[in-house]
Amino acid sequence: MNLFASGGDTALESQAARPVMTGLAASDRELVDRVAKGDRAAVRLLFMRHHARVYRFVVRQTGSEMLAEDITNEVFLELWKQAAAFERRSEVSTWLLGIARFKALSARRKRQEEQIDEDQAAAVPDSADTPEVTTMKQDKGAALRRFVDALPEEHRTVIDLAYYHGQSVSEIGEVLGIPVATVKTRMFYARKKLGEALKAAGYDRGWP
Amino acid sequence: MSRRDEMEALLPFYLNGTLEGAELAAVEQWLATDPAGAEALEAAEAEFSSTTAANEAIRPPAGALSRFVEALEAQAGPERGAASRPANIVSLFSRLRSAPAGIGWAVAAALFALVVVQQVTRPGGETSDFEVAGADNSLAVAPFALVKFRPDARMADISAFLSDNGLKVITGPSANGIFRIALPATGAADYDRLLKLLAEQPFTETALAGRRPPNG
Repeated sequence: MNLFASGGDTALESQAARPVMTGLAASDRELVDRVAKGDRAAVRLLFMRHHARVYRFVVRQTGSEMLAEDITNEVFLELWKQAAAFERRSEVSTWLLGIARFKALSARRKRQEEQIDEDQAAAVPDSADTPEVTTMKQDKGAALRRFVDALPEEHRTVIDLAYYHGQSVSEIGEVLGIPVATVKTRMFYARKKLGEALKAAGYDRGWP
Repeated sequence: MSRRDEMEALLPFYLNGTLEGAELAAVEQWLATDPAGAEALEAAEAEFSSTTAANEAIRPPAGALSRFVEALEAQAGPERGAASRPANIVSLFSRLRSAPAGIGWAVAAALFALVVVQQVTRPGGETSDFEVAGADNSLAVAPFALVKFRPDARMADISAFLSDNGLKVITGPSANGIFRIALPATGAADYDRLLKLLAEQPFTETALAGRRPPNG
């Protein structure tokens, strides 16, 4: 079972799906080598392969689609400038996400958008009797999606990186610049919060 | 932290296939022996589906490649040796950027592929804007139809159809998403046949008569 098969993306986007990236890992690295030699066709191809996922990651980090497009362009311009410094021990996708994370954080600081997290945290339902929760009970999937969106940024990011971007514990540590033990701790608390939110909405799965 | 807590923290990595070594063995052993394992795995799969849906609900903007190429050229200067090639790509994607939402990535990719093929096959390395497809001056007076593709049109379907029937994109899309497609018709009946064939394709939303053959 291919858990990360694309479920309806267009042809261009599906090229960035994790299994394809893994299968083309050497090819991605070859393209980075070509970029380092000034090959613009190579950087355009890498853009087409990875743009959609980097863009989505930045949108999730900043909450701004307009900001995300500029930052995503900056990520690939950074690739153009820094290709020679790429450390081949990393996947190209992990490297790009790391650059995206750094730039997204910088942009957030500039815009003082930390308020976003507080607004999202406030959106987590804390009552099992509201009409909103009643509606959610009709669709557990929709409720869970809302709870994922409402997680604090540091928790939602590890969820996104593991489930959507297919990153390993060590790769997430590389993207976020944190130890692997911290990745596991954040994942634990992220999933614990999701379990608690589900329980509050009437879906007790027995943990935590 | 209990054993179950540790396993719950590792399950996402078990699901995405990146867990290995002792941690992989521990999760597999837990799933095989603890009755709570199956329920936990089901919960993680639900999180996986919801996270994927939340991410894929974010649609990347059309024309992103065009704007990136423009930014790259602004930073690095025009490309040497093949200056017109990226310009053509920029031109194409700039047009798609201004097109209605119905002109999606699939159609963009189809037309991108056509432009690339035309450039490869163009004699003498001569370059020009993609609007004059293949730098074939005869297209300037060729019979054509005005076509709008469906929003869900697929690259492979359009490419195959155009190629199989000798059709070429002359210009497009216009502000309302219409392409001008050259039809290799030798007479009125042939033109009507090709126009009808084009209109009947599942990826065609609208196909209207444009310039007819001189004898049509």
